[in-house]
Amino acid sequence: MIINANTKIAAILKQEPAALEAIISISPRFEKLRNPLLRRLMAGRTSIAMAGNVGNCGVQAFFEKLQPLGFEVDENMAAPPAPGQVPAWFPGADVTVINLDVRPISAAGDDPLAIIMKVVKALVPGQALKVINTFEPAPLIRLLKQQGYAATVTVISDNEVETLFYKHAETPHTEAGPIAPAGDWDALMQAFESRLRVLDVRGLAMPKPMLAILEALDALPADMALFVYHKRVPVYLLPEIRQRKFDYRVKIMRAGAVHLLIFRN
Amino acid sequence: MFTVNKQGDAGTVTAPNVVVPFYLYAALSFLVATFLLCASPVSPGDHYFSPHTLAITHVMALGWGTMIILGASHQLVPVLVEGKLYSHKLAHLTFCCAAVGIPLLVYAFYTFNMGWPAKTGAILINTAVALFLVNILCSRAKQDNVHVVFVVTATCWLFTTTFAGLLLVFNFTQPLLQEDALHYLPLHAHLGIAGWFLLLVTGVGSRLIPMFLVSKYTRPGLLWWIYGLVNGGLAGFVLLFLYLHRPVVYFLPLASILAAIILLIRYCYNCYKERIRRRVNKQVKLSLLSVSMMLIPLALLVVVTVLLLVTTENTRLVMVYGFSIFFGWLTAIILGMTFETLPFIIWNNVYHIQAGRGGTPSPQDLFSNKLFNGTALSYLLGFLLFTGGMLVQQGGMIRLGAALLLVCAFLYNLNTFRVAFHKPG
Repeated sequence: MIINANTKIAAILKQEPAALEAIISISPRFEKLRNPLLRRLMAGRTSIAMAGNVGNCGVQAFFEKLQPLGFEVDENMAAPPAPGQVPAWFPGADVTVINLDVRPISAAGDDPLAIIMKVVKALVPGQALKVINTFEPAPLIRLLKQQGYAATVTVISDNEVETLFYKHAETPHTEAGPIAPAGDWDALMQAFESRLRVLDVRGLAMPKPMLAILEALDALPADMALFVYHKRVPVYLLPEIRQRKFDYRVKIMRAGAVHLLIFRN
Repeated sequence: MFTVNKQGDAGTVTAPNVVVPFYLYAALSFLVATFLLCASPVSPGDHYFSPHTLAITHVMALGWGTMIILGASHQLVPVLVEGKLYSHKLAHLTFCCAAVGIPLLVYAFYTFNMGWPAKTGAILINTAVALFLVNILCSRAKQDNVHVVFVVTATCWLFTTTFAGLLLVFNFTQPLLQEDALHYLPLHAHLGIAGWFLLLVTGVGSRLIPMFLVSKYTRPGLLWWIYGLVNGGLAGFVLLFLYLHRPVVYFLPLASILAAIILLIRYCYNCYKERIRRRVNKQVKLSLLSVSMMLIPLALLVVVTVLLLVTTENTRLVMVYGFSIFFGWLTAIILGMTFETLPFIIWNNVYHIQAGRGGTPSPQDLFSNKLFNGTALSYLLGFLLFTGGMLVQQGGMIRLGAALLLVCAFLYNLNTFRVAFHKPG
């Protein structure tokens, strides 16, 4: 049997009962699986990725324990790596972050742009600005990008979106390098962790992937995000996603393996 | 300039440094062609077999139409076969041979020196096409779909066209053929127009237009009919031309091609009707308009053939016919398709790593809408004035049309270079 991060524990146990002991040996937290009632209740709903989070052991531990029992691992469906804390381009410890929460200003019906720009003007090298708002401030990002600022957006909750601005000595660019977690991908994955719908379109012939994604978005509850396994970046779909008031993140794992995260703006 | 994308999609996506030079070369060729159109104005009484007309036609057919199609095909074939391009090196060689060969051939026509410049140009162009054909054949998957078959067949017709062209070039100095170049010109031209341009645009367009419109419509059966009608019509024309050469029989292949174009228009209409994308952008509208513009040269061809039966060849209408293909249908589809493909190619290269962050622009933010509107407007006005001027034999209208087409080419170049050299932030 081929398994991946989304394979349910119940399916593994059904295929190979001996897998129960293997899973329990990964973490003491899985001892409760010995109880048939709890096992029936939980194993059907829990994927390897979810169990990896519960057991605080990641998915790799599962793959290592299950491979000797004859399970094959689908590499393309490896779970996303552990969340990072800062964007890839952020210089790190030598930078002080100035927090600016503009939510009270917006709530009072005023435009916080003038205040933000004042703070930006006052920034000195070695300082970054974190703007806290209730939405992704796309016009502000565009405006400051023209002034040489890199930006990364992190959605903390429905009412809290952090945008971090930092001016490099030279603008960061996207030359080839190792495929690193980009921007706020990990933070978003964490934010939507328990509110993800997963869709795999890799086996579909063109143009079905595009249609399957749009259908899934039509049926997506407001507070959930859609996680898509794809073979390539669906560039012609991206404008349509934006037009439908969704935002997206793309993460390229390797040739022929792309992950997409789509969520409401 | 263009970095080779060594990650992510790189396994399946052709590197931009392979594709983009073709786009830029084509843009500059369009500018050169419209400049020549202004610099050496066409008079209504000109014969189509004149040095300047041949030069402009070949800049348009090879430098503009063929180069941009070769560039787009290097990008699209991997998508069509769901694999990757066989060789980037071959693609670079294709570009180099064509990029040197086309100006040599055009210069030869312009100065009507059919010696070494024309021969070297023709050999280099044939080499470029042969290398492209090898690259496409080696990129094929085990299971061909209808679109791939269209592309491969069209490329075989292109090679037939360029090889016939090479024979015609050599025939100027060493008699190889029974007749002169003027006699074989309709054969050479139609191998290229129907075999290369019509088949390829149909094969690729039928795959791209549903994608641009986010359309559920797929009818491979209908495309196979179109494929059969175009190939049958063209093969029939070649045989009739070589062995019968009587105008009355040309209505058979003409009817076959007409049926194919009507089916293609129906296919595009159904795609449009079953689209999911609510707002259709101007680039796609112009591409769709170009499909219906195919009917203009077809109507002219019917008239020319009818006149052949009752009087003699009407050279003015033949000129308008050629113009309505290269500056009409083909240019309209390229103007639309450029900004529906190039920005996505560049975006995929520049932003694919940043796409994990918020705040990246949309692919369509990479080109200027204002410039595109100016391009489309000057194009449509220029085309109408030039064609109208040719038909009513009005030199002033022709010159104004040519000037507007030059403006169109200039604006198109500004926009294309802006996209190609886009830098993030």
